[in-house]
Amino acid sequence: MSAFPRRTVEHATCLGCGCACDDIAVVVEGDRVAEAQNACALGLAWFGDGRVPGEVRVDGGPAPLERALARAAEILRAAARPLVYLAGDLSCEVQRDGVAIADRLHAAIDSLAATAAASVLAAQRRGRAAATLGEIRQRADCLVFWAVDPAARYPRYRSRYAVDPVGLQTPDGRRSRTVVAVDVGPARGPADADRRVTLAPADEVDALGVMRAAVQGRQGSDDPRFQPAVELAHELARARYAVIVADAEPLDAAPADPDRAEALVALAQALNGPTRCALSTLRGGGNRSGADAVLTWQTGFPYAVDFAPGYPRYRPHAGAAALLAAGEVDAALVLGAPASLPAAVAQGLGAVTAVAIGPRASAAPCRPAVAIDTGIAGVHDGGTAFRMDDVPLPLRPALPGPREAAATVRALRERLEA
Amino acid sequence: MSAPGRLRIAGGTVYDPANGVDGEVRDVCIEGERIVADVPADAPRLDARGMVVMPGGVDIHSHLAGTSVNHARRLLPEEHAAHPAPAPPFAGARSGTGGTLPSTFVTGYRYAALGYTTVMEAAVAPLGARHAHAELDDTPIVDAGCYMLLGNDEYLFRQIAAGETARARDYAAWLLEVTRGYAIKIVNPGGVAAWKSGGAPAAQRNVTGLDDPVGSSAVTPRRILETLADAANALGLPHPVHIHCNNLGRPGNAATTLATMRALAGRRAHFTHLQFHSYGEGAGWKSGAREVIEYVNAHPEVSVDVGQVMFGPATTVTADGPVEYLLHATSGRKWVNVDIELESGCGIVPYTYRERAAVAALQWAVGLELFLLARDPWRVVLSTDHPNGGTFFSYPELIRLLMDRAYRDAQLRRVNQKLLAGSALLDGLDREYTLGEIAIVTRAGPARLLGLPHKGHLGPGAEADVTVYAPDPDRARMFATPRYVIKAGELVVEDGQLRRAPAGRRLAVRPAYDAAVTRDLRRFFAAYATLAFENYGAAPAPPAPPGR
Repeated sequence: MSAFPRRTVEHATCLGCGCACDDIAVVVEGDRVAEAQNACALGLAWFGDGRVPGEVRVDGGPAPLERALARAAEILRAAARPLVYLAGDLSCEVQRDGVAIADRLHAAIDSLAATAAASVLAAQRRGRAAATLGEIRQRADCLVFWAVDPAARYPRYRSRYAVDPVGLQTPDGRRSRTVVAVDVGPARGPADADRRVTLAPADEVDALGVMRAAVQGRQGSDDPRFQPAVELAHELARARYAVIVADAEPLDAAPADPDRAEALVALAQALNGPTRCALSTLRGGGNRSGADAVLTWQTGFPYAVDFAPGYPRYRPHAGAAALLAAGEVDAALVLGAPASLPAAVAQGLGAVTAVAIGPRASAAPCRPAVAIDTGIAGVHDGGTAFRMDDVPLPLRPALPGPREAAATVRALRERLEA
Repeated sequence: MSAPGRLRIAGGTVYDPANGVDGEVRDVCIEGERIVADVPADAPRLDARGMVVMPGGVDIHSHLAGTSVNHARRLLPEEHAAHPAPAPPFAGARSGTGGTLPSTFVTGYRYAALGYTTVMEAAVAPLGARHAHAELDDTPIVDAGCYMLLGNDEYLFRQIAAGETARARDYAAWLLEVTRGYAIKIVNPGGVAAWKSGGAPAAQRNVTGLDDPVGSSAVTPRRILETLADAANALGLPHPVHIHCNNLGRPGNAATTLATMRALAGRRAHFTHLQFHSYGEGAGWKSGAREVIEYVNAHPEVSVDVGQVMFGPATTVTADGPVEYLLHATSGRKWVNVDIELESGCGIVPYTYRERAAVAALQWAVGLELFLLARDPWRVVLSTDHPNGGTFFSYPELIRLLMDRAYRDAQLRRVNQKLLAGSALLDGLDREYTLGEIAIVTRAGPARLLGLPHKGHLGPGAEADVTVYAPDPDRARMFATPRYVIKAGELVVEDGQLRRAPAGRRLAVRPAYDAAVTRDLRRFFAAYATLAFENYGAAPAPPAPPGR
């Protein structure tokens, strides 16, 4: 038995992945999270015990906050080519201040949303055939998991949104739906699919093109390699509301194939001729979709923005990792959890003077010159976060944190604007 | 403590139609955030002699913030790249990008630089309300409100099917409260739900008239319109239902528009972007403006905004999903569709209106016909349905078309004539709007229709939102570059330059309702929603627990 009184924060939103499940009951004992009820394994790991360091460090040693902020401002003001990076576990409110700082500094800015670059660029070329997750729940009678089993990286996608729950037009839940797995090489769909279609990785994009042609009633392919795909295309066209689920986050740090992302959009759009279809692109956690939304509304571009000319310029192929690798950057401001940084960005930051403000900043492997630990958005800090389908949700912090990211970043912004 | 800021705008020619002032030389006095009858003689003066003084502009229908606007921004990086917007030269100013959907700060700056100080975001999916408010927080200077999309929402349909009109009303009130909304917006009632319910080829995934069943035979566009119009009026909302009719953009749709107006006869209702709903009956495209505006002229309970088409680039962005599918299919342009769970939709297609294109020329002419044949400017508001018919930056050009017949006739000769037979414009409409009428259709009228008693006029007690123009026979130039703009008593544009960008305020309603509806809503959420009832809406996010 614990000596601490227990209290529970209901309807908390988890940012462990892009599902942003908001049905978590966070049970707090004393200064730690004792339970995160309803959370999946990823969610349990994300909440952890809620304990985070509260250090403030300058050049590796402890320092008062005011000195750290002064030093951070000094570093950033002196930089010739500063970079701002919006890492994970930040609220949209802090992201907004982060973009303001980049604007002020004429800095480059990028975010964790860049991990889904292939899918974002495809959507910019062709558009989207999309739906919020709840619409998939209400309508989808035929679901194709395209080279992804959400169980690993989006554990509750199936149970909360797409497959199992009862919806308006799917009164029997899973039994109201046909689930098809498309296995592309080692990237396999769910094990319990009703049917499977297997494709060689080299055939994947061609197969999507052949399927689109079949949906549009154009000359398809007689190649036997594509016949199962063509049959799947016809099955989708016969559905009342088809949904294709694909992972927008790359596997094992390999960049996602831009042609594949675009072919998926094109197929989903074409299916809206004979029937309705939505493409559900899975995105990771930490409120990266919020970073995409905020950057888009403040600059017009979703990631990889450069304020160097005095206005936002889009450099989708020269984001943070590329700038760091080219040695262009001399100082960086990392907002959010350094532990969420993509490997290439984390590695590149090791070579520049960095300021890190966020959860466990003091433990950042890039050894920042200034590190200020804050709470985690959704565990200690409040604000707004976006689900992978761009639905905004409030955060319901359960614990007091070391200091709020919002107030800390605002204080830095005010110093830089003074 | 210093005295509240005072200012005497001295000697300008004042157009304040709400107070019966039509071009009189007089002073306008400001104390703090309000207009006052007088200020001491030693108060600071703004010399407005020879200039035209009007209340700040009020845009009754614009798409400037929120989920669908942001989807559209994300779709158009090439536009943003072509329209960089460096920060204006004042402390704290922000850079951004322009194009048909500017970034948020640029949107606020540009509205203010045009002399507009109040803007209504016309289509917010309640599910995305939190997002819309966050964007408006980053849209400076202008006061803004959000119209909440109803009329394709499953919960409403259930109440209509069950005959529960009182509960439907309570639901609408609850929704406006939790989303911090200002008015009820109806888009293609029933049609968006039909589009989302799937199956059937594209042509059948919509409703075509007021009596098509939507799922249940008890739910029809007519019943949706009646239920929500009655709810808005019973709740005493300052603005009535704001209606985007069925069959937008289709030849012959004037019949649907008139049927909708008749269905709501005797009820207050606002019909938006009327131009897109005023094409005449019979085969092919033709103007139906005359019959539609004649109905409006004869029915004082009806108000409209025009949704003028302006030649040049636009972006069509609407909750009317099936319309955008057709536009994509016919134009071949890129297309976004996002179905929004249990309540609405979103469709986006970039579009260009060309003078040489027959349909675009007809649309342009229909809009002008509506303006020029309207008898009561208080009920006919200037709009382009930004950015659908054109952007709000084209308002000055539109004002010139209305005020300058010679210019308008010259433009008319340039456009494709193929579909203009029967258009009243060809008969040589000689009307020219006066400055007083422009002041009505751009500020006094929309403020009154929105139920904003402190806006759109310059009487004592009004909010000190004032625009001062330098007269110019080229009315487009005159209205494009006001000399001074004052927002809530603060000078934001001086000598034609934006000088500061204070935050705007949010306009929202909180109608009273029977809270028993929330018990039923909780059950509905538990059965179908993908987020917690408690997390729905746009209430400020809860704070962190007390610090250590």
